[in-house]
This record gives sequence, C-alpha cells and structure tokens, in this order.
Amino acid sequence: MSYEIKNVWSVLLRLFHWSLVLSIITLVVTGVYINTPWTNTTLEGSVSFPMTNMRYLHFLAGYLFTAAVIVRLFLYIFGNRQERIWDVLPVTPRNIKSLITTLGFYTYISDTHDPRPGHNPLAGMTYIVTVTAAIFQLISGFYMLFPESSFWQPLGNTLFGSQQQGRFIHHLLMWYFILFAFVHVYIVIWNDLRTPEGLISSMFSGKKFKQKNA
Amino acid sequence: MAEQIDNIQTNSGLSRRGFIKSCSVAAAALGLSETMIPKLVEAAESSERPTVIWLHFQECTGCTESLLRGSHPDIGRLILDIISLDYHETVMVPSGHQAEKSLHDSVAKNAGKYILVVEGAIPTADNGNFCKISGRTAMDILADVGPKAAAIIAMGTCASFGGIQAAAPNPTGAKGVRDLISDVPIINISGCPPNPITFLGTVLHYLTFKRLPNCDEMGRPLFAYGRRIHDHCERRAHFDEGRFAEEFGDFGHKNGYCLYKVGCKGPETFSNCPAARFNDVDVWPVSVGHGCVGCTEPNFWDSMTPFYERLPNVAIPGTGIVADADSAGRKILGVAAAAVGIHAAVGIGKSITNKKKDE
Repeated sequence: MSYEIKNVWSVLLRLFHWSLVLSIITLVVTGVYINTPWTNTTLEGSVSFPMTNMRYLHFLAGYLFTAAVIVRLFLYIFGNRQERIWDVLPVTPRNIKSLITTLGFYTYISDTHDPRPGHNPLAGMTYIVTVTAAIFQLISGFYMLFPESSFWQPLGNTLFGSQQQGRFIHHLLMWYFILFAFVHVYIVIWNDLRTPEGLISSMFSGKKFKQKNA
Repeated sequence: MAEQIDNIQTNSGLSRRGFIKSCSVAAAALGLSETMIPKLVEAAESSERPTVIWLHFQECTGCTESLLRGSHPDIGRLILDIISLDYHETVMVPSGHQAEKSLHDSVAKNAGKYILVVEGAIPTADNGNFCKISGRTAMDILADVGPKAAAIIAMGTCASFGGIQAAAPNPTGAKGVRDLISDVPIINISGCPPNPITFLGTVLHYLTFKRLPNCDEMGRPLFAYGRRIHDHCERRAHFDEGRFAEEFGDFGHKNGYCLYKVGCKGPETFSNCPAARFNDVDVWPVSVGHGCVGCTEPNFWDSMTPFYERLPNVAIPGTGIVADADSAGRKILGVAAAAVGIHAAVGIGKSITNKKKDE
C-alpha cells in the first residue's frame, strides 16, 4: 500500500488553529476565575493583584482569540481549496453525499470512509457554528470590557439587551467551547485511529496522507 | 431677580442658602460647571413654575417615598418653589371627584406644556383591567394624559421598563411608558427607587435648557446612568486585590471587602449610586454591606435574580432541571463524556468482533 503526500493546510490556518487552542484554554481558566474567584485573602497592603492579573491575561487572550477568528473568516473566503467555506457547506452534491457517508461512518453503521483532503462536511459545519459562537463571544466580551464605548454599547445592547444578559450569554458560550474542545479532541483521536491518514499531524505539518489506488 | 429671591424667602419660609445648595447639588449631579449654577437658580426661581402631573400605576410608591426623603431639595421646596405639582395621589389634599377634577382641569389648561411623571408599570393584558383608578384603566389614563405632555419622565424601573411587575411570566402584561407612547420625549429615571437628585437634575435641566438631558440607549440620562457602578465603587480595590466576602457576616464582610462573591451586580449596572448616594447620609447598598441588585437595568428582575449569585439560573429544556449555569454546564459535559465513552466502547467492541471474523 503506498501513500501520496498532500499539502492541505496553509501556515496561516495552522497558526489560527493553535492560537485558538492557546487562547481558549487561557480564556476558560481565567474566565472561570473571574466569575468564581477561587482564591481569597485577608492580606492588605500587599503587592498581589490576583483579580487584576487574571483579567489582564483574559483580555490578552481575548485579543489573540479575536485575531484568530478574524484570520479564520479571512481564510473562509481567501484560503486554499480546503479552507474555503464552500468546501464544507453541505449544498453541493459532493458535500451532501459526504455528509451522509460521514454520519454513517461515525455511527458505526457503515465502514465506508470518504477520504477528503479537507474537513468532512459534518466537521466543517461544526466549525462554522463554533466560529459563529466565537463572534458572539468576542462581541459580548468587548461589550463588557468597553461598556461605555460608543461602538460596543449599542451593538451589545441590540444583541443582548443589557450587560447582565451579555455576561450570561458570554458564560453559556464558554461552556459551549469547553464541550466543543472535549468532543473535538475525542473525534480527532478516533479518526486518527480508524483512518490513519495523518489527521492530527496535519495540523502541525499541513500535510495529509492519501492512499494511492484506494 | 433680587425681588424674586426675597419672595421665595418670605413666602415659603425656606432659606436662600438652602435653595442655592439645592441648585449646586443638581448642577454637580448634571456634571455642569459652577458657572451654570446662576442659570439653574434663575430657571428654578422663575415665576413660571412648570406644571407637573404625577401618575401612579402598578407600583409600590417607593419612588415617591424616595423623593420624600430627598433633601436637595426637600419635597416642600420642590413642590412649592420649583414645580407646580397639580396631581399626585400620595401627597395631594383632594380626594375622590375633587382629585379627578384637578387632573382633568390641569390637563385641559396646560395641554402640550406640562411635564408628566409616571410612576409604576402599565398593565396591558386583558385590556389593562389589572390597574384602575376612578373607573379608568391605567392604559386609558396614560393614553389620555401622555400625548398631551411636553415631556414624560418615567420615574423608577417599573415605569421605565416594566420592573418587577414585568418579571416572567408577567401575568398582567406590564409594560414601561416607552413601550406605549412614542410621540412625546420620554426620559427614564430608572432605579428601585431612583435617586431624587437624578429627578431634580432632570427637571432643572429641562427648566434651564428647555429640553431633556442626553440619554443612553435605554433612554436614561447620561449624567446619572452613563457610568458603571463597579468602576466607581469604594470596594473596588478589594476586588482587584482579591479580597472578597464569602458570605454575609464573615471576616471579609465585616472588614468591608468586595461583595462580588455574594452576588453584587455592580459590574453590570449603570447608575450614579456610588457618587450621588441616598437619604442625605451618604449611603447606598454597597456602603452598608449589601451587594448591588442591578435595579436600574432593563429586565431587572429576570436577569439579576438570584440576587446572591453572579448569574441567572438556566432551565435545561425537557428535564425540568433549573440550575446555575456552571452546574448545568457540568451536567451537559458529563452527558457528553458518557456519550463519548459509549461511542468508544462500541468502536472497540466492533474491532474485536471484526478481528475474530478475520481469524
């Protein structure tokens, strides 16, 4: 059995992916701290600012997250073939067929695997939902960070109604990202075990392996 | 001008000093420079006192109670010197038909010129039958009196956004003034209760500049609702340095630490409470050891309760479970982990049986 190497992910997409990973981990940890500060002290007049530092890290990671989301949106339109949005939207016959095959494959109903260079449509759709959630997440975040800004205030008020509702949605979306990360990691490992085509390493190297004469 | 001032002094028996003080407090609340104080004084002591009609609907009279406890100005000076209060069910002398007549007469006489103050939400379900005054529903009275006003001040969160009456499931269909009237300038002095200084500031602003002050998205005057409570709180240093009250009565609470962990809604609430304070003794909820409950915000009851938690609860659809967001999140994550476990187990089982078949 011989394989051919295919270049699938651009450097920018890989940077986007790992920026998102780093920022989501940081944002969840610091975000949970900001909502439920698990440290407490009675020390006064110290030089320790746990809440300030956590918030600073949160905002820093928030900007990284925002940059990553903007890069992904850019790649949806201007990326390579695998990265563009039309490659995953289940609107073309090829993608609809692939979606059905993938669902059967994931639920153990069939053993037919659709070897695609890019995302399968199921994964692609999940990522679109995730990027949409990310957009709401960053808008609600900036709405809370700059509550008196003439740009974020009207936008946040229109989308969420009030600061408290924006905060609530920000918190619920955090749970979406935790859930997404968990399921995402599982499915990636599962795929790598069932169809060894270098799925995990492709996010480092940008390359996937395709079976020849398959 | 001197003559007018003298008149004020002799007619009402209230001192010139107190009067200037009231105007200075209002100027400070409005964020105006001290050079504007003479203009405020002039406007406030002009013989043309604006007619104010004050309507009570679905409410607790707490906003009026708050106004009665104001001292800059006190209620006497407010209604004797600054405004002409023609109708106010709590403080007026007439009752019954006489009272209704004074409302009717004042509306007819001052149509298009008076300031209408509305206190309380307006029930709209079942044709508004949940609140009636002298046989007329609140909806009818507002539809009659509201459009003839020069401006409407919605006093309190109920009149502004529906308030507690509009809390889910809102059986009476309570609404704020802004949801029912659109062709008259409306300003929302939200709060439960609002600070009398904010009310006075708005009235004086209207008298001086002949228009309502600039407002935010929710129709609240920016001079009072433009800044976030958390950013001006005297306990903010404790927040930044990680000193919190864990529960009421503990060491942190007794030492005046941040009330964030006992559900203070200061970080999501806009009001001048930390600056203007209440009752002339410089108190506000946080200064006396209770977190902010976010009473000035729209949808206040539904989004700010439970008061001693940071975030509202979530109902997980189809399960009847009402939990705080984090325990709901953990439950959903647990379900996902179980699903992943089953999925992985099926996969392992399948590969074992396939291997056996191959053999």
